Amino acid sequence: MSATLTILLRTAIFILVALALCGLIFQAAGYSALDMFASILDGAFLRKGGLSQCLRWALPLFITATGVVLSFRCGFFNIGAQGQFYMGAIAATAMASWLNGMPVAVLVPVSILSGMAGGALWALWPGILRFRWGTDEVITTLMGNFIAGLILVYVTTGPLKDPSGSGQQSSSKPLAAAYRISNSMGLSPTIIAISLVVGIGMWLLINRTAFGVLGGLAGRNPEMLRWQGARMWKFGLASFMVSGALAGLAGAIEVFGPNGRLVGGFLPTHGFTAVLIALVANLSITGTAVAALFFGGLASAALYLPIMAGLPSAAIDIINAAIALFITAKSRMIDRMFSARGKTP
Amino acid sequence: MNSGSVAPPAWQCRAMTVAYGDFIALDGIDVGFERGRIHAVVGQNGAGKTTFARAIAGIVRPRQGQILVDGLEIEPGKVRAARDAGVELVHQSFALPPSFTIAEAMEFGTRKHGQLFTASGLARRWTQHLAELDVTADVRSRIRDLPVETQQGVEIARALVTEADLLILDEPTAVLSPSGVERLFERVRRLKARGVTVILILHKIREVLAIADTVTVLRGGRLVAAGLARQALDPVALSDLIIGGPAAQGAEAAVGLAAGAPAEHAVARQTAAIEPIARLEDITTEGRAEAPALDHASVALHAGEILGVAGVEGNGQRSLVEALCGLAKLKEGRIMMGGRDISREDLGERRKQGLRVIPFERNSEGLSLSSALWENWAASRLLAGPLLSYIRPQRLRAQARAAFDRWSVRYAGPSQPAGALSGGNAQKVIFSRELDGQVRLIIAAQPTRGLDIGATAFVWKALREARDTGAAVLMISSDLDELFDTADRLIVMLSGRVVAEFRPPYDMARVGAAMTGAVTEALSEPLTGARP
Repeated sequence: MSATLTILLRTAIFILVALALCGLIFQAAGYSALDMFASILDGAFLRKGGLSQCLRWALPLFITATGVVLSFRCGFFNIGAQGQFYMGAIAATAMASWLNGMPVAVLVPVSILSGMAGGALWALWPGILRFRWGTDEVITTLMGNFIAGLILVYVTTGPLKDPSGSGQQSSSKPLAAAYRISNSMGLSPTIIAISLVVGIGMWLLINRTAFGVLGGLAGRNPEMLRWQGARMWKFGLASFMVSGALAGLAGAIEVFGPNGRLVGGFLPTHGFTAVLIALVANLSITGTAVAALFFGGLASAALYLPIMAGLPSAAIDIINAAIALFITAKSRMIDRMFSARGKTP
Repeated sequence: MNSGSVAPPAWQCRAMTVAYGDFIALDGIDVGFERGRIHAVVGQNGAGKTTFARAIAGIVRPRQGQILVDGLEIEPGKVRAARDAGVELVHQSFALPPSFTIAEAMEFGTRKHGQLFTASGLARRWTQHLAELDVTADVRSRIRDLPVETQQGVEIARALVTEADLLILDEPTAVLSPSGVERLFERVRRLKARGVTVILILHKIREVLAIADTVTVLRGGRLVAAGLARQALDPVALSDLIIGGPAAQGAEAAVGLAAGAPAEHAVARQTAAIEPIARLEDITTEGRAEAPALDHASVALHAGEILGVAGVEGNGQRSLVEALCGLAKLKEGRIMMGGRDISREDLGERRKQGLRVIPFERNSEGLSLSSALWENWAASRLLAGPLLSYIRPQRLRAQARAAFDRWSVRYAGPSQPAGALSGGNAQKVIFSRELDGQVRLIIAAQPTRGLDIGATAFVWKALREARDTGAAVLMISSDLDELFDTADRLIVMLSGRVVAEFRPPYDMARVGAAMTGAVTEALSEPLTGARP
């Protein structure tokens, strides 16, 4: 459809403008922008094994971002994916250490499900505060990120601490190799399958269920849905908990996949990047898949830059920030164009 | 046209065309407005009236054509150019910042910005201005706290701070009570006496004939009649011009048949339902600022009857609707429906029993303007089933299309956003959603507000049909003519209470007196009881 094409084109233009701005910043900081972009492109996609590294980051980002898409569509600005991701990782690790010794077929699914439950519960309390007392979920979920981050530090230095660990970074005891769902490269058939199931499931939920259509209405005009007799808290809590569960799932995957253990203070920008992906994707699941690949590439380049090219990985942060800036401006501008053109007299 | 006058018209356009994308809103308009008179511009919804008002004020830029103020050409599509030439617009939906005090809003209107001022200094400056225009309000009160009528007065006063000599009022009567309309017209006549040229965008024929010196008619973006003298017009002729050819149905709505006329009331149906479909028993609610509470109100709703609710706005009508819908907290009393106490059931459960609502605010409570039409239409059906049920958008779109066609909605496609429709068509979409086969009780809150003649007649017809198929209808309106024409029984609300009840033929004077609390009509029957 041409409407989809326009959105696509517009998003591409905004990202290009954001990149141009980054180029100026790189130049001003004394780097060659051309070199920088070439290295980023190389690190993200082109180098040998680049695509699998890109996917390693893209898949958990995709899983988390689909949850963000759902809650944003329903009109709830759950920006607590980061905290929910941490809590998922913690719950999964705790369950795994409790069940240690059980068969793989029991321990792994149960632990991953508890990771989802952990993430969902961490999204539940802002939801309840919102519906019981009207507390702004942007504030509570944001605060929840910091609290979850501190809980992570606590458990990796306290209850779940690896006693034999001696490195600077505190962490939990490593999982037995049999329990891992991928090696430390972080890409495996299991993870790909989980991502596919999540992607298809979320696409169906949003596009092919009553919940999806009504949730879209709730997001655009909750007042109208209230006069249709909807119980708004149902939509709210469901979208909070699903998005929390998916962030938790991504957290559990990190523990059981590439990391093999719970590391204190790991992936501190994962949840925020997921929010960015959801916005860039214009809250569509297919768009999220594409955007996740893009940002997954950037994430992989962030590791590549300082090691292979001798360039600062902060370049990736600058790019993320610039895109965030332009994408928010974009949605505002679209809103404004809509309100100006949407009405005929 | 005013070709006879010697002085150039106060405002004139030549071959003015305004388009939004492919949509031609105004097509080659040639018209002039004589100085110091009251000009009405009328037409159905979608005729281009608001676009016309905006073109005059310079808010929309015509694709082609010339605009002349006092014979001098000005640059079209520039608000500043229009204001410099003394042209001011009072918007249909008020545009003053709600958090401003009146004095601040006035100062804001002067365009002399960047000065320092004190609150008391502002108050002194603008109290005088308001007094001259006969607006009684404290200039230190905030816009959002003002009653609608005063707000409009302030909007007009704002438009006149710059000594404007051409004032456009876009649908100014839509928000006013009958007495408010009278006072507005008084104000407009005084402006005329001061030499201000006034252009009124209107759609009620009775109002046009009551106030205008000349009448200009738009239909489908074209000029049908320009500057006709009011004396040369009668209601039927004017309604023919507006609708295009004699349309009996429209004319009925247009003329707003004289009070007590033998409209189709369901008087013969008295023997029908003994037990009412629904009953509010001694309801008291918690009020809010925008919805004053109900105070021991009792109302019985009978099958096959349109019960009209009259009253000056803000006397508990909104709380009555919200209480019936389960959206207001009850402090006392109970609500019975189908012989059961439904006080604790929410709107979803009440809807399952056949309650349907046309809410007060079409654009916020009735529709989600940025969502697709089919989604708006499907909402009630989807809510009736399990939330995780599988849906086929294709099929829902086809069903919505069929329903829209049955209700003769004018739209481009079911995926179009609801905000693209005009008021009448938007209301039809709401009706097509609410009036399905299972309706037993329908609440219609201000269902014709802001609608043109054709759409109004359509709404009345739909409500009468619902009644005739055995549904109970509760109709809240601030238009007494409308209530007199449609209601089989009429109750009057005052300060959250039901203070009077009337049956046809209605007497305007007595209903009006009850609305203002001048008399309390002896109730003809115990309101909670069954009918005789």
